[in-house]
Amino acid sequence: MALSVWSVLFVNQETLFSYNRAEMISYIFVAALLQGLILATSLHGLAQRVYSGEISSLLLKPMSLFSYLAIEEVADKARNVLATIIESGILLVLFQPQIVMPSSGALILFLLWTCGGVLLNFLFSLLFGTLGFWSPETWGPKFLFFIFLDFSAGKLFPLNILPVWLQTMLSFTPFPYLTFMQTQLFLDKVPVGDLLKHSFLILFWVALLALLNSLLWKRGFKSYAAQGQ
Amino acid sequence: MKKPIIAVKNLHKHFTVYKKQPGLLGSIRSLWKRKYETVAAVDGISFSINQGEVVGFIGQNGAGKTTTLKMLSGLLYPTSGEISVLGHNPWDRESVFQKQFSLVLGQKNQLWWDLPAMETFLLNQAIYDIPEKRFRKTLNKLVDLLDVADVVQVQVRKLSLGQRMKCELIAALLHNPKVLFLDEPTIGLDVVMQKTLRDFIAEYNKEFKATVILTSHYMDDVKELCERVIMIDHGKKIYDGLLSNIISKYARNKTLSVIFSKPVAKKSLEKFGTIKDWSESAATLLVPRKDATKQAAKLLESLPVIDLNIEEAPLEAIIREVFGNKAKDA
Repeated sequence: MALSVWSVLFVNQETLFSYNRAEMISYIFVAALLQGLILATSLHGLAQRVYSGEISSLLLKPMSLFSYLAIEEVADKARNVLATIIESGILLVLFQPQIVMPSSGALILFLLWTCGGVLLNFLFSLLFGTLGFWSPETWGPKFLFFIFLDFSAGKLFPLNILPVWLQTMLSFTPFPYLTFMQTQLFLDKVPVGDLLKHSFLILFWVALLALLNSLLWKRGFKSYAAQGQ
Repeated sequence: MKKPIIAVKNLHKHFTVYKKQPGLLGSIRSLWKRKYETVAAVDGISFSINQGEVVGFIGQNGAGKTTTLKMLSGLLYPTSGEISVLGHNPWDRESVFQKQFSLVLGQKNQLWWDLPAMETFLLNQAIYDIPEKRFRKTLNKLVDLLDVADVVQVQVRKLSLGQRMKCELIAALLHNPKVLFLDEPTIGLDVVMQKTLRDFIAEYNKEFKATVILTSHYMDDVKELCERVIMIDHGKKIYDGLLSNIISKYARNKTLSVIFSKPVAKKSLEKFGTIKDWSESAATLLVPRKDATKQAAKLLESLPVIDLNIEEAPLEAIIREVFGNKAKDA
């Protein structure tokens, strides 16, 4: 759908919001791939699993709960990426669009930032999982967050089309690193001088969320009631 | 003196429970004003258990049995008190500790629902780091003992409750745990299956010198497996000792079952004890424990008795009475 909408918008124009047609089509494909890789998660039901006591059988085993959840997540992502590749492959064959390809150096950094995005989203999912320690109502806050994420991560449209003040505000959050910044790197739209800054910012958000998770899960386990199990 | 495998000292677990007013108005009011109550699920329990003991945890629903087991296995964080299992604090959840115990919850399962039980066994082999040779040996033995060779390759959701419970036990025992926490392992099973599982648990205890804590509402489980019992009521320990001693401590009466050669009037039996059942040719009397032999002799002397049995009261009845009295005292 995004492909059709942007194709119509580019009928009478060469560039739009500083994107030419090839860049925008590349954005759509890369964002779709990143959606499967970064934003899709198997941990949507984690809070419910915590609340219902389903995690008890995992906690009793000599393994880390988080490693187990990470493996579950990786397996889910592998399936998503395979589906996205097949879907995108069909679209590429059908429409034969022009796709912008980055340099090999940018591609390596793109892969690293993507790993950072995957880690960030995993940590967000774990954070929402802790809701289950204290409340059965886990769906509402999570739903609002993911709706907000659709807009703030650049899943639906590039963030450059937003007003500058809103872009500035979002740059103080980790959300652009969940898709948008990776697409900008792929399209060679990130100034070389800013690459290190963004790499550090990804690490900063990962460290902050990991710390927050560590505190909340530690507290949560102390309140864990292992209900129903 | 032998060092206990399990040592619990002054253990408490309190839960904060939200008390909701009924109806829509109650729901709306709860948005800004909530009433909470602290419930003491476990209230100052202490005990110790030595290696190889099979101890029965007896108590009514909500007495705190499962909560205690969950604390012993490191699932729940105690409000206060000390626990040591195999020399470890369960709450630390160290791998080396977790590889030495198993918690089996009768009403829940760790088996993957959509896959054959064998897949869970293989996963457990990897998680518990069991060498292939030992894994195969233990698996074959357990499968053989529980007679489930033909079901381990069938999807778990297609198994009967009994078959599933047997597979649960196998999954829990593959790593040869030294300590077993069994919470209602025979719940919902028919009597034949209950007996099979009981025999199996006894066999496992004997062969591996495993320490077992068992909770069950079926007194047959406790009678057959446990020499020692711990009775819990409202989170407090009310008895800890030999099962046989419960009877002498709490059973006030013995039952005399008498069969007569000639019809005997009900009135002539009243002086021997409380008449529980009577027909002209047979009667059942409840007699104070200490007088049972004396009264039996008198019965034989004064009435045309052809058969007489002196029986202890059933364990279920004694326990019911103990808990009933405690409830009245409370």
